[in-house]
Amino acid sequence: MIWTLWKKESQSYFASPLAYVLIGLFSLISGIMFFNLLVTYSDGIQALPQNMTQTVSFVEEVVLRLFANINFLFLVFIPLITMRLFSEEKRQETLELYWMSPVRDWQVIVAKGLAAMTLILCMLTMTMIFPMIIWGVGIHDTSVLFAAYLSVILNAMAYISLGLFCSSISGNQIIAGLLSILGIMFLWMITWGGNLNSNFLIAEIFTYVGITSHFERVLRGVIGTQDIIYYMTFTFFFGFLTAKSLDRRNW
Amino acid sequence: MRPSYSLYINLLWEEMDNILIVDGVSKEYPGRMAVDQVSFSVKRGSIHGFLGPNGAGKSTTMKMIAGLLPVTSGTIKLFGEEVHPEKRNLKNKVGLLPENAPLYPDMTVEDYLRFVGKLHKIKDLEARLEKILTDLWLTNVRKRIIGNLSKGYKQRVGLAQAIFYDAPFLILDEPTNGLDPQSVVELREFIKLLAKEKTILFSSHVLSEVEQICDDITIIHQGKIRASGSLQEIHKKFRQGLVLRIGLSSGETLPDLSAFGKYETGSVQHLNTEDQYHLTFEADRDIRPELARYLVEKGVKLHTLMVESPELEDIFLHMTETRR
Repeated sequence: MIWTLWKKESQSYFASPLAYVLIGLFSLISGIMFFNLLVTYSDGIQALPQNMTQTVSFVEEVVLRLFANINFLFLVFIPLITMRLFSEEKRQETLELYWMSPVRDWQVIVAKGLAAMTLILCMLTMTMIFPMIIWGVGIHDTSVLFAAYLSVILNAMAYISLGLFCSSISGNQIIAGLLSILGIMFLWMITWGGNLNSNFLIAEIFTYVGITSHFERVLRGVIGTQDIIYYMTFTFFFGFLTAKSLDRRNW
Repeated sequence: MRPSYSLYINLLWEEMDNILIVDGVSKEYPGRMAVDQVSFSVKRGSIHGFLGPNGAGKSTTMKMIAGLLPVTSGTIKLFGEEVHPEKRNLKNKVGLLPENAPLYPDMTVEDYLRFVGKLHKIKDLEARLEKILTDLWLTNVRKRIIGNLSKGYKQRVGLAQAIFYDAPFLILDEPTNGLDPQSVVELREFIKLLAKEKTILFSSHVLSEVEQICDDITIIHQGKIRASGSLQEIHKKFRQGLVLRIGLSSGETLPDLSAFGKYETGSVQHLNTEDQYHLTFEADRDIRPELARYLVEKGVKLHTLMVESPELEDIFLHMTETRR
């Protein structure tokens, strides 16, 4: 059943020009970012005296920064992808089609999430050209790249679940999109709260709840159980909220 | 006192005979009673007309029957089982065409119907698709995008969706609303055909339509049931006294009827066509012979005296106007 629903959602994405525009824009912006990072890195290296070039890490300056920037792009791209998922169905009153069939709410939610993830993976596939370039210049560190891709995929998963929830609470796409942008920004800001607070315990809680600390750990390849648990809990929590919000039809 | 067995048998019989029993159902929204203590039943194999002006509570009631909305109080029994949004036992047994057909404008007709079939896990999907497309004259638009179809075609696709999984009970919420006359006739004919093997609850605010295709009707107004039963029963129940049409020779005027024995005259309505009058008498039997004698004695040249059976429209208007 999830397969049927996923197929329908994915087809619906690729039937509209939005998917292609998003993939194109994403490739363009991330390409410019990558180019800028490379230029900045090489300029920096050239400006340094010979004996100090080894102190500047390519992975640190280019790879990690690039993926941190991709995460930043998600702030806009993922809400654009998820905002229509439920709000559009609410507007068209097509959810009744599901409620009249033996399909379960969670199947619909998972299928929609997977369809959004499919589109994100298509976008990320376009960035595969960067590792190839890096490979070409002689840096062969697959584990760094693996961790970097894993970090943005996990983040995308969390943002999609948040976006799905925002989409389920509003019949208006624009409002749903704006809500998810605000939600993602809030997740980032929680971490800043952790940095500011002088109380150790509160700072720890803020750091754990905020998404940034987990993202940075995974990005650097320090993948701990707590991070995996965090992403799983986050996604399930918002999936659960989405299911509850859809249940509101029962009010 | 022990309840009698005949009571049980009657109840059992009622359940067997009625596919749907709505019993004292209410739906309350904050500060507003959308549906108030609604009770009616739908007989197996009938087309039941659900009649009421816009905003009367038809759609809300139908959604509750379909299990899309929970009831505030009361019970709805479908096929002898209680309907509840959480329960999934009645899925596949009820086909619903809501007021706005649940269509995906970016899908083609056949892809959309295939998707519906897959949601309901239909086995011979392609064979079913072909049959439905042929039955509803959709074959020529099967590859077209739903968003580009005319309203009539969209409504047919909506109906195709409702009957695709062969549910024995269909809920059609104003299916002919906003269609051109040709489409209305075609759709009505198709619904009549469907009724040969299904039970249909059919809502409308077009009375003539309900009169043409329905066996039983329920009239709802402001969330309350005004009448429910077979067409004949409704006619009988709401014949407000006996309405007689009296035609006089030209130039004649209707004499004072206050002296007409024990029968109290109701409203006298002068019909503009010739010298015709509508008179309502509070009588439960035919008083034409007595009235004719009385009028002739008064020297009136009478040439028509007939019983007018009220149209459903009159009953409906009467019920929805006077209680406003």
